[in-house]
Amino acid sequence: MVSLSPQNLPSADLTTDQLERGTSLWRDAWHRLRRNRLAVFGGTVVIVFSLTCVLAPWIFHLSYQDQNLDLGAVAPNAQHWLGTDTLGRDLLARILYGGRISLMVGLVASLVALVIGVSYGAIAGYVGGTLDSVMMRIVDIMYALPFTIFVILLMVFLKDPMQAVDAWLGRFSIFGFHAFEGMQGVGKILLLFAAIGAVEWLTMARIVRGQILSIKKMEYIEAARSMGLGTPRIIFRHMVPNVLGPVIVYTSLTIPAVMLLESFLSFLGLGVDAPMSSLGTLIKDGSEKMEEFWWLLVFPGGAFSLTLFSLNFLGDGLRDALDVRASKD
Amino acid sequence: MITRTTALLLAAMLAIAPVTMAAEANKPAPPQIWRVGNGAEPQDLDPQAIQGVTEDNVVMALFEGLASEDPHDLHPVPGVATSWDISPDGLVYTFHLRANAHWSNGDPLTADDFLQSYRRILSPTFASEYAYLVYDYVAGAREYYDGKLKDFAQVGFKAPDPLTLQVTLKNPTPYLLNIIASHCAWNPLPVRVIARFGAVDQRRTPWTRAGNLVGNGPFLLKEWRPNQKITVVRNPQYWDAATVKLDAIEFYPTDDISNEERMFRTGQLDMTYELPIAKIDAYRKDHPDTLRIEPWLGLYYYDCNVQRPPLNDKRVRKALALAIDRESLVKNVTRGGERPAYAVSYPGTAGYTPRARLEGGLDEARRLLAEAGFPGGKGCPTIELLYNSSETHRAIAEVVQAMWRKNLGVDVRLVNQEWKVYLDMRHTTNFTLARAGWIADYVDPNVFLEIFVTGNGNNDTNWSNPEYDRLFAAALSAHSNAERYEIYQKMDAILVDEVPVIPVYDYTRVHAVSPRIKGYYPTLLDHHPYKYIWLED
Repeated sequence: MVSLSPQNLPSADLTTDQLERGTSLWRDAWHRLRRNRLAVFGGTVVIVFSLTCVLAPWIFHLSYQDQNLDLGAVAPNAQHWLGTDTLGRDLLARILYGGRISLMVGLVASLVALVIGVSYGAIAGYVGGTLDSVMMRIVDIMYALPFTIFVILLMVFLKDPMQAVDAWLGRFSIFGFHAFEGMQGVGKILLLFAAIGAVEWLTMARIVRGQILSIKKMEYIEAARSMGLGTPRIIFRHMVPNVLGPVIVYTSLTIPAVMLLESFLSFLGLGVDAPMSSLGTLIKDGSEKMEEFWWLLVFPGGAFSLTLFSLNFLGDGLRDALDVRASKD
Repeated sequence: MITRTTALLLAAMLAIAPVTMAAEANKPAPPQIWRVGNGAEPQDLDPQAIQGVTEDNVVMALFEGLASEDPHDLHPVPGVATSWDISPDGLVYTFHLRANAHWSNGDPLTADDFLQSYRRILSPTFASEYAYLVYDYVAGAREYYDGKLKDFAQVGFKAPDPLTLQVTLKNPTPYLLNIIASHCAWNPLPVRVIARFGAVDQRRTPWTRAGNLVGNGPFLLKEWRPNQKITVVRNPQYWDAATVKLDAIEFYPTDDISNEERMFRTGQLDMTYELPIAKIDAYRKDHPDTLRIEPWLGLYYYDCNVQRPPLNDKRVRKALALAIDRESLVKNVTRGGERPAYAVSYPGTAGYTPRARLEGGLDEARRLLAEAGFPGGKGCPTIELLYNSSETHRAIAEVVQAMWRKNLGVDVRLVNQEWKVYLDMRHTTNFTLARAGWIADYVDPNVFLEIFVTGNGNNDTNWSNPEYDRLFAAALSAHSNAERYEIYQKMDAILVDEVPVIPVYDYTRVHAVSPRIKGYYPTLLDHHPYKYIWLED
């Protein structure tokens, strides 16, 4: 509504350019976000880490699987900045490739959860009545499904399509740059986490429905309805932007949760296949060998913690910036 | 993440602490309880239905055969039988049972119990994986197992009186007593007790539960708490109970070997099942008194499913076999003094060393692969390599995968499965390439060669070779060890030529044993007759 009111004011005193252009919700939010140092720091770290993960292995021709058995595990040195693991593989390369997997997994699963959860919750909450009851009972039923069994079933049924996606990703290129070249089993993990995202949306749907219920009877919604706007437009144009605060907070919590989940599944053999690794599997390996080779735990653990912290700071900052009711404007 | 890291560091500190302040309180004669890391949760304790080392370790405490093993070199010593006579032609064995042998419920153990047990293991409906250890040797047993012979009385087992058991063989088998002493297939079972809990020839009836299970070994089953521990205690009915020094043995399922090693360091275990590879060097340096590295009669290998392309072409299999740098693998990866294996049989088994050897370098491997239609690996389908979840197997698979890619240009995809799923996939040959290990059940070269015979319960490769089967039958009826070993040479040569399995290395037993354990000697089969073991503080 911040965005609506200035534009709809009588134009008597609209003399300056600034007032005439007004400030949109997003502009305000961006402004507030930039003032939040921790959030800026978090965002920068996430962006820098993501870019490094995507670009560095390509630029420096790093390989996560080239072994040097005679070298074995060596501590950080000039040639291997973060040392090597017991098979003589460069740890920096493995962290960067692992970061790719973990970030990708976090983003894909959270996005899926976000899209499904918000739409589902908003529709159920706004329409109400019998439809609401039916939709929310479906959510209750899905909550009762044991997660592990569900994932194992998905793995069995999706085996063939996953291999097709895998092959397609192997050939995939943007501007001649093969983002997934040499990364086996990416299709498997992407589909797996799209599937997990499809389970993770349940809580999101409940949160959004609750929020929608609380703003449904507010004047501006009544106004929109009296102006004859259609239901989809009211939901996605007027209601969803007003519940973004909790949604963003919850999404920022979902990303790390999904990244942890991934390491658990990889351990069971349902996630990434060796020799590919994610940050989660690197940390698990490192924790087993930490007494002999500390760097195998410290660096992947550090990278993972830093990413999670940054994501949390960023999510926190976004909430402050976007939640119009919490803001002071 | 921080929380997890901190917790791990804390756990590590806690793990180290008790060792540094190890000050034992002097209590008068504490009970002798031996706590053993036993790898995994046993699937069953029925001696005729088990296959794994884990299960065997428990069964050895609960049952005893006609003969048992010497603790130093495992040669057969009197068990339930006080003595035995062998007919001059080597075909008839007469066992004289001891009069004071009893079941743990107090019933006397008689020759009839043996007949009932052998009838059970040979029954076609029971389908014991190890039935071949009986039917390959005993007259009429194969026919009974195949269902061609209905009358068990026709099989070569006789009980002239309650304390005499007579076994008639098809061929003189010089190593029969080794099998009897070392493998549970020949043990007596309390068939009358089993019958109380369900059909005798049916698996997984409740007779193996604690409280139901009746045995004749030095220990009896006191408690079986799934995924926690199995406790066996001294059996007062055992004929040699005076020799037994331990009061109890506790077997812990230890799938997570890092955790097992921590339990050992904090004194919760007296012996581990394995050691994490990364820890071997540290133990060599810091705890040489607890580290045990001993030869172990076993082969680590990869099973090829010879019906799936590209492994249906023996040139591809051979190329893969030749392109593994085994020296580097054992030196840098497994690190436990394992010996690179270039043939299936274990060199030096009872005086037999295979002459056949995988020969040819990388050039030969590349040539074979090109001949098979995949020059430089071009066009070769991705091969799936199945292994069971374990740090060690994964490291080896990763290294082998890298070697094949580098040396041959062949792409391998690693597939990791949990133990039971893995076993199931192997037995149904639902794999292309699978990691496998074969630990000898008795000391004779036959033990590695018999499992590749057509129809053997442990042949998971789909491989079948009439010439090989013919040689195996010929070896069974050979008149002398020299003649037999010559036939084995030919069988080993066939295996090296056809490569149904890719040998990787010969095992060594690498684990940690507390110096408190006495009477525990290195043996080739890693069998340690429990009645001779004691603890010293």
